[in-house]
Amino acid sequence: MAKVVSYLPIMLVALVLGVILAVQFRVTNPPEGVPYINREQDIVNELRELARERKRLEEEIIDLEYKLEQLETGQAEVTDALVAEVAKTRLGTGLVSVTGPGVEVILDNPPAVDGRPGGNLFLIRDEDLLKVVNELRGVGAEAISINGQRLVAFSEVRLVGSSFINVNLTRIIPPYQILAVGPPEDLMNTLMAPGGLTDFMQDVGIQVTVEKQDSLTVPAYKGEWYMNYAKPAQRG
Amino acid sequence: MWLGILLASLGMLVGLVIGFNLPMVLPQAYAKYMSVAALAALDSVFGGIRSAMEDHFDQSIFVTGFFSNALLAAGLAFAGERLGIDLYLAAVVAFGVRIFQNLGVIRRHLLKK
Repeated sequence: MAKVVSYLPIMLVALVLGVILAVQFRVTNPPEGVPYINREQDIVNELRELARERKRLEEEIIDLEYKLEQLETGQAEVTDALVAEVAKTRLGTGLVSVTGPGVEVILDNPPAVDGRPGGNLFLIRDEDLLKVVNELRGVGAEAISINGQRLVAFSEVRLVGSSFINVNLTRIIPPYQILAVGPPEDLMNTLMAPGGLTDFMQDVGIQVTVEKQDSLTVPAYKGEWYMNYAKPAQRG
Repeated sequence: MWLGILLASLGMLVGLVIGFNLPMVLPQAYAKYMSVAALAALDSVFGGIRSAMEDHFDQSIFVTGFFSNALLAAGLAFAGERLGIDLYLAAVVAFGVRIFQNLGVIRRHLLKK
C-alpha cells in the first residue's frame, strides 16, 4: 500500500503528461468547432486587424473616387469641347440653317419693254451676283444664300449657256433673292454707299431692293459633298 | 515494480482521455511550450519509475524536479524565441538523452529480476 502511495506522484505526472500529449496532438490536428483557449484575445486582435484593414480600404475608396471624379470631369470637358468644335465647324461650313439679323437683297432684270426683255446687255449676269456676294462677305457676312442655295466653300456662281445662272449646280431664275446674315448696319452701308454697288446696278437698269431684317433664316447647304482629292497635309 | 509502470500507464490513459475531451484547443503559438512540457513530463515519469526501482524514490524531489524541469524548459523556449535562438532544442536534447538513459536503467532492472 505504501508502494501505491509512493507511486501516486508518478501517476499524477503521467496524467499531466497524458493531458499534454492529447492537447499537443489536437493542436497539430485541430478538430472542428472547438474554441481556442485564447479565443477572445484572438477575436479582439482579428477585430483590430480588420478595423485597420477597413480604414485602409476606406482611404483607398476615397482616393479612387477622387481619381474617378477627375477622369470623369476631364472626359466631360473633352466631350464638351469636341461637341462645341463640331457645332462650330458645321455652322461655319454651312451644313446647318442659320438665323440672325442681316439684309435681304432682291435683284431683278429690267422690266420688259414692248414685250421684249430689256436686252441682253442689261440682264443680270453672274458677275453682278458675285459682286454683291463679295461686298457682303467683305464686311463680315457669316452666311449667304441666293434663291435658297446656301453659298459654301465649294459653291459656284456661274453663267450657264446665255442667260441662266447656276448656284450649287442648281439653276436659279430671277428675281434673285440674296439673304445674308451678318452685321446689318455694315451690310447696308456697303451696299447703299453713294456711288456704290447699288447705285451702279440701278444705273444699268437692274431693279435693286435692299432691306434690313431683324431676323432672317439662311437655309442649309442641301447638296452632297465629297473630298476625293483633298487630304489633310502632313505636318513637318 | 510492475505496479509503478501500471499506475503510470493508467494515469497517462486517464490524462489522454481528459486531454481529448477538453472543450478547447491551445493556439498554435503555444505548441512549442507544450512540446517542451510534454518532454519534461515524460522525463519525470521515466525518472520516477527508475528511482522507484532503485528504491530511493523521494516524492518532494520528484515533484519539484518535474516542475523545475518543466519551468526551465518553458523559460528556455520563451527566451530563445525572444532572442531568435532555438534554445528549446537544448531542453529537447537534454530530456531526450535522459529519457533514453532512464529507459536503459529501467530495462536493466527489469532484466536483472
